[in-house]
Amino acid sequence: MGIKKEKRLRSILFHVGACILGFIMIYPLLWLVASSFKSNETMFTNTYSLIPTEWDIIENYSSGLKGVGGVTFLTFFLNSLIVTFVGTVTCVMSSLFAAYALSRIRFRFSGFWFGCVMVTMMIPPQVMVVPQYIILKKMKLIDTVASLVLPWGFGTAFFIFLMIQFFKGIPKELDEAAQIDGCGKIGILFRILVPIVKPAIVTSSIFAFYWIWQDFFQPLIFMNTTSKFTIPLALNMYLDPNSYNNYGGLFAMSVISLLPVIIFFIIFQKQLVEGIATEGLKG
Amino acid sequence: MAFSTVGCDSANAESSSESGSASLADSSSGDGEPVTLKITWWGSQSRHDYTQKLLDLYTETHPNIKFEASPAGWDGYFDKLSTQTASGSMPDIVQMDYLYITTYAQNNSIADLKPFINDGTLDVSSVGANILNTGEINGKMAGMVLTTSLLAFGYNPDVLTKAGVNMPTSEWTWDDYISMNKTIKEKAGIADSASIDPLYDTNLFNYWVRQHGEKLFSDDNKSLGYQDDKLCADYLKMWKDLMDTDIVPNPDEFAQIQTLGLEAGPVVTGDAAFVQNWNNYATLVAKSNDKIKIVTPPMATDSDAKGLWLKPGMFFSVAETSEHKKEAAEFINWFVNSEEANDIIMAERGTPVSSKIREHMVSSGKMTQQQKDMFQYVNEAAKLCGETPPPDPIGMSEVNKVFKDVGSSVFYGQATPEEAAASFREQTNAMLARSN
Amino acid sequence: MKGHKNLIGKLYKPRDNVVGYLMLAPWLIGFLFMWLAPAVTSMYYSFTDFNLLNTPKLIGFDNYIRIFTTDKTFIQALKVTFIYVLVLVPLRLAFALFIAVLLNKKHRCLGLYRTFYYIPSIIGGSIAVSVVWKQIFGNKGVIMSLLEVFGIHQQTSLLGNPKTALSVIIIMGIWQFGSSMLIFLSALKQIPGSLYESAMVDGAKPAKIFFRITMPMLTPMIFFNLILQIINGFRVFTESYIITNGGPLDSTLSYVLYLYRRAFTYFDMGYSCAMAWILVAIIAVFTVILFKTQKSWVYYESGEN
Repeated sequence: MGIKKEKRLRSILFHVGACILGFIMIYPLLWLVASSFKSNETMFTNTYSLIPTEWDIIENYSSGLKGVGGVTFLTFFLNSLIVTFVGTVTCVMSSLFAAYALSRIRFRFSGFWFGCVMVTMMIPPQVMVVPQYIILKKMKLIDTVASLVLPWGFGTAFFIFLMIQFFKGIPKELDEAAQIDGCGKIGILFRILVPIVKPAIVTSSIFAFYWIWQDFFQPLIFMNTTSKFTIPLALNMYLDPNSYNNYGGLFAMSVISLLPVIIFFIIFQKQLVEGIATEGLKG
Repeated sequence: MAFSTVGCDSANAESSSESGSASLADSSSGDGEPVTLKITWWGSQSRHDYTQKLLDLYTETHPNIKFEASPAGWDGYFDKLSTQTASGSMPDIVQMDYLYITTYAQNNSIADLKPFINDGTLDVSSVGANILNTGEINGKMAGMVLTTSLLAFGYNPDVLTKAGVNMPTSEWTWDDYISMNKTIKEKAGIADSASIDPLYDTNLFNYWVRQHGEKLFSDDNKSLGYQDDKLCADYLKMWKDLMDTDIVPNPDEFAQIQTLGLEAGPVVTGDAAFVQNWNNYATLVAKSNDKIKIVTPPMATDSDAKGLWLKPGMFFSVAETSEHKKEAAEFINWFVNSEEANDIIMAERGTPVSSKIREHMVSSGKMTQQQKDMFQYVNEAAKLCGETPPPDPIGMSEVNKVFKDVGSSVFYGQATPEEAAASFREQTNAMLARSN
Repeated sequence: MKGHKNLIGKLYKPRDNVVGYLMLAPWLIGFLFMWLAPAVTSMYYSFTDFNLLNTPKLIGFDNYIRIFTTDKTFIQALKVTFIYVLVLVPLRLAFALFIAVLLNKKHRCLGLYRTFYYIPSIIGGSIAVSVVWKQIFGNKGVIMSLLEVFGIHQQTSLLGNPKTALSVIIIMGIWQFGSSMLIFLSALKQIPGSLYESAMVDGAKPAKIFFRITMPMLTPMIFFNLILQIINGFRVFTESYIITNGGPLDSTLSYVLYLYRRAFTYFDMGYSCAMAWILVAIIAVFTVILFKTQKSWVYYESGEN
């Protein structure tokens, strides 16, 4: 009885703590949602309050959805979806291949290339953007969807490194056994390794989706035509510090733009949920 | 829907059929081959919407001119522009800010508009020479100024009435200003009633320097223009004293005020009396409080030099690399001088530079009281305006940053006004000498 | 077996070379076009006087010399960034690990908590966050009002005080522990259940299980997170850009924020590129040192380091 009671008490304590922390974590999100309901005039007068003094939901959301310069918000939303979907898939695939090559295949200069992967993470993108622009311009890719996907589609160091770390956690004997069974390198990757590193792939996909979705600086520089803009570029167009700003519309669209990221996370994190792994290594 | 009707109006105005209007309106490009002009500007949602309408309207009357528009927010606008310029792909027409025009002009990135002014493509007959010449850098017309800005103080009449203070007039002095705020603090119980950041940029300081008969920068832009650091120290000391007596918010408090945005600032909500801004201030906040008024900044007590100057609001510049400079100049001319264009713009970008357009707009009766005040202010303040200073030196944003830093060190009690003034001179001169 | 491994170690099978490069090809193409060429160009810029609008003019090491000899702001930005990295990285990782382990148990609503804790990471750079953080830590904000209740009167807020502003930025960094947590969670998920089962059969206590099994199995991910957080910490930009824009008195001016200003606000791209390569050198030193220590504390099932 005593142990059971203690267990319940512990569980209650856990949930109370988790909820308090949870509230701190999502307070800005709640604030954002509440602000998207407030009228522009009262937006910043009673900032703390999560309950609007003057509701203006319809005006905020309809003015936001109206978009910018004759292009509706739906267009930006679809652009973002396409770019993010293509970007995420290609990015995770390319990274997976590169990580597999660098950690499980012995080939000439693989160590050198791993060093290169690491260095790409170190330089600030701010000084890369001008040369990148010049190259994309020469390739006639400025203002194309390709220029939005390209920085991601070839894989990024973060995911390559992450997956390498996961691959290293798997005994080499597995590969060797599979090889003896007649599996080629690609067969080993997809049949043996991918199921094991699924958590890494899921995590990478969650990150990739969000990063591409919210990517701002490079698209800002590379894109010119409004109708090809993604959401972050569109939201930036709502603001000018020197004139009257439609914060209501901006916040309303920010809420909408967060939905896909949160939904994507909720769906994919389920892959990480079911407690301690039971399938794991069966070798 | 909206712009199709506007299109009809313009066709009527040019009294020609739709197909013939272009060649009538404009002989040089009307029958010409199709031209695509790239144009970019910064702004918020409403500006993007009406500017797009303008472009559509222009294409309707000039069927051979098409636009590729890149509207943008302020954030990142100049990052992108410099990147484009670095790779030789600056858009044909660029909305340009005073802060950067010198840098672009001195690197020959923007075209000289003088030939188009001389051949009549760009009609500047109703634009004052003072304001027009703010776009002239090294003898070249680097940009066509679109709007006029003037330093102004905004105030909330209700707050002043509550404290029994008379409304400020254009003759008021800094002493009046200080005593008014003291009264407001005592009688109405409002602390920090002068909601001003004296370090926001160097404009207010520039005004201070000018009204004491000096110049902020030397003629060659290689050093500060005033000789005695006491001028700068006095400025910082005045504001420091006002902060210490809770008449002006300290930098920490001001940072908080800034997060409120213009529309919910303390002057608008009646929590402060004065704010320093530009002559379009009352227009900008009219949606939140339509009682706000503007007045010229206080006069110096001991000098009657004219401190105000006509400041260009924004420019249209044409890229040096543009292959359609003439067509670009024609469009700018239409933007500045045509009534139909300005009926759509409705002074959203600021007070139009053309006096004819200002008259047209006042007589059209479509303007709000705040907009009328804003125009009126330009007419009245012209009397108080001194010589327009030459364009800002290269590195102006770094000067602003240095000024903010040295000033803050005084307000945080880490330096005396004298030390700060000396440090401002030392750092600024070193920087200006290098980059100009 | 051992001899066989050595053989592979010394010689590269032609087939492996082909397959290896084929697999690496997508990244390699991207690397050459989108990274290597721009990186070499920016390296070249770092030896030039380049304001973005002129033709770059070679000036040798002038930019580097100016950075190290005359630029006080550079020193300040470097100091701010080092403090940020050294304080934030251990705190954020400890927090992320702690929460990840807690959330790896069987409880109700875990998915919900996970989502809640990840949310700060996805709204990190938004204007909403910047407004809310200023409302909490700024003047007349929540913290100041709370202190007032306890009779502590503060002249300036935490954000407005040059001595404390950086700590607010660091707290914000800890608040965004979600992505590190997620990586730990995925690593925990990969630990084979059989290891725990056999330990339970042996009657090991939870603490012992944690330190004997969980921690060693997590070391590859701790190592990963450590490297990543250090790299990202040194490149911190958004946090100080949106909350304080480097102020007050440059007390939160991060290295990359300063570098960005140099490039695009002060039109000093050559100088900015030089700063960027100095940063690469600094980060590389940290990374190499960490990689060298790897052997002594990181455990890989595959037996390699």
